[in-house]
Amino acid sequence: MSLDHIVSVTIGGLTVGMIYALIALGYTMVYGVLKFINFAHGEVFTIGGYVAAFTLLTLGVNDGMSALAVAGCLLAAVVASVLVPMAIGFLVERIAYRPLRGRARIIPLLSAIGVSIVMQQSIILVFGSKPVTIPTLALSSASIVVGGIRIRVLALIIIVVSAVLMAGLTYLVKSTRIGKAMRATSQDMEAAEMMGIDTNKTIAFTFIVGSALAGIGGFLVIMYYGSLKFDAGFLYGLKAFTAAVLGGIGNIPGAVVGALVLGMTETYGVSVDLGFLAWFVVAGLVLGLYVQMVRIPRRRLQHIAEDRRTPEYERNLLNVYRLTPYHGVKTLLAERTDALLSVSAEHAVRLMAGNIFLAVVAAVMFVNANVRIDTRWQPVIAFVVLMVILMFRPSGILGEAITEKV
Amino acid sequence: MRLSEVTERVSAATARVPRSVYAVGGLVIAIIFPLLNMAGWVETAWLRVGVISLLFVMLSLGLNIVMGETGLLNLGYIAFFAFGAYTTALLSSPKFELRWPFLVVVVLSALIAMVAGFVIGLPTLRLRGDYLAIVTLAFGEIVRLTITNLQDFTNGPNGITGIYSPRLVGEGALESLGSTGPAAWLVIDKPVEYYYLVLVCVAVTAVLISNLKNSRIGRAWNALREDELAAVSAGITASRAKLLSVVLSAGIAGFAGSLFAYYSNVISPESFLFMQSVIVVCMVVLGGMGSIPGVILGAIVLQALPQVIRQAAGAARSEFEVYRMLIFGIIIVVMVIFRPEGLLPDTLWRREAHEVDPREQEKTRQSLFDLEEGEKDLEV
Repeated sequence: MSLDHIVSVTIGGLTVGMIYALIALGYTMVYGVLKFINFAHGEVFTIGGYVAAFTLLTLGVNDGMSALAVAGCLLAAVVASVLVPMAIGFLVERIAYRPLRGRARIIPLLSAIGVSIVMQQSIILVFGSKPVTIPTLALSSASIVVGGIRIRVLALIIIVVSAVLMAGLTYLVKSTRIGKAMRATSQDMEAAEMMGIDTNKTIAFTFIVGSALAGIGGFLVIMYYGSLKFDAGFLYGLKAFTAAVLGGIGNIPGAVVGALVLGMTETYGVSVDLGFLAWFVVAGLVLGLYVQMVRIPRRRLQHIAEDRRTPEYERNLLNVYRLTPYHGVKTLLAERTDALLSVSAEHAVRLMAGNIFLAVVAAVMFVNANVRIDTRWQPVIAFVVLMVILMFRPSGILGEAITEKV
Repeated sequence: MRLSEVTERVSAATARVPRSVYAVGGLVIAIIFPLLNMAGWVETAWLRVGVISLLFVMLSLGLNIVMGETGLLNLGYIAFFAFGAYTTALLSSPKFELRWPFLVVVVLSALIAMVAGFVIGLPTLRLRGDYLAIVTLAFGEIVRLTITNLQDFTNGPNGITGIYSPRLVGEGALESLGSTGPAAWLVIDKPVEYYYLVLVCVAVTAVLISNLKNSRIGRAWNALREDELAAVSAGITASRAKLLSVVLSAGIAGFAGSLFAYYSNVISPESFLFMQSVIVVCMVVLGGMGSIPGVILGAIVLQALPQVIRQAAGAARSEFEVYRMLIFGIIIVVMVIFRPEGLLPDTLWRREAHEVDPREQEKTRQSLFDLEEGEKDLEV
């Protein structure tokens, strides 16, 4: 596997990951506010893609048109793929979810499954069961060459647009009045109500924003792949949900991190022929890093004597494990150190040595691996990730903290 | 009259009829139905619809144990069905040139599905309800995709063909008895014979489950569903009771899967899509979670009624399928919002479905009170 391959596969993984992230944000925001898995969210994404394709086909977009006209058509498609999902998200919340608020957890989930089926079958009724295909545009096949590596322009556009949208969302949640209302509602709905926040409006707004992001995701997917099937939303939705759980559901940066990790894992998984042993090494490395960065430090924190427990001391102990090359080594070399810190530093250095060994082995295997595309097991990767994360760490990588942490 | 009043009256009326009337009535209808076919009044195609409906009755009875009794949503239930079906297909088809005895295969199919249920249940049952649903969904999809991809073992998407008909006795005994008269019933190969075989299995399952429901373990399941914390403090081992319900329901699905494989001769991964799991969930929701007559009714209504309507309307299969699923989706949403206890509700569920969590209620009242107090303060 050469550098070219590594770069192109990484960009592919980033692109897919960003699309997952756009959908995952909808899951995670709704979960943050309502503690509810909006199972129908994947279908909203499909509808976004279909509406975009329908708009493009109706306007008869093709390369014969002037650049300005093509841009106009694309703009119309974007607007349609945002507005229609927004309306659907709003209506679905109003009709199928709001009457069920406060019931046992599985009741709204059942309703969401019903809604998802209704949406999927409605897509078939309206647009037919054949995949919708848009005409190939110069834009969708264009690519640029950087240092001998060919990159699709559209992949870059997807990455940039998604990043901008996520920055916008962060701003919205963190700095605006409605964002503040969202955070308050997710923390404590009753308290928020007492402070004069219209929680119904806030929840509806959350659904609308999530649906808009999913709609844009649908638009980007149909531009990138050129076609979309009516049941695509099921798989995309589940993968995005996996991403949301992986990063810690309810946690907005977590959704993005989880989506990128999932996108990368999937893309590398299907395009690198590592062999069984190498996947073992990679899994061992991931586990090793998890143990060093998360598991052991958390247990070590409990060893601190009550009278020595200060935030600063806790941070030091965590840093010894998390930033071992600097903090751990510095602690070991220092003339006088605290016993717990010193023991931890030795421990951390030993763990780090093991992880470095695994990383070197994995890197060597990666460089020697062949490139081949085998998508048979692609969906399985996401499902296995989902099961493993829910079994062993349901709170995800970054923790299940709510929007407050943005 | 408001809608809630109508439903209230209907449920009051249905509650007055003793349960045994439903059971006996249903069984009589089920037994008479194939006789109509033998008399030539009903086409054999309807018998096939009957067999499939009965298999779905069995599946919904099984799912009802986890979903209705224990309150755990399982969205990958069809995977256990697949385990049973594939075990049967591998042990009784030309694929590996095996033809194990019917009873051994059926029991083994159920056992393998139970092992699968145990393996998946053990690490996941401590999860919260909604997460558990998603994990089981992922499990179901993994099973299906694995079946599709393990070409050497399962023939992949083509499926396994030529599954042998079940023989209730050994080959030697069959030869000595001959193949005419009542002995013909020992080889199950006609729709009528399949129908009665499945009917017996369904009846046995239903009796078994209704006994379990009123036993110690059934009460434990209900207690866990209503309030896990209270149940655990009353001395119920939550993990063991939950695991038992998952394993048992998996076993029933495996059993049904085995019968399905024998009946249909051919099985392929397409029979085990996520949509099938949703259909079974829909049956349980429609009939009434935790209510055995309800679940049976739900399965029959959702499996047989669409076929009747399709015949009457003369619609094309693919087009009809879209409407059928659309209506299933609408049924789930409408039932969950307006009548969460189902058509023939279980008494316990009926109370529970309409009740808002008392702790939540208390909180709301408290906050309203606080609000009023605050307003008074402002006026002063």
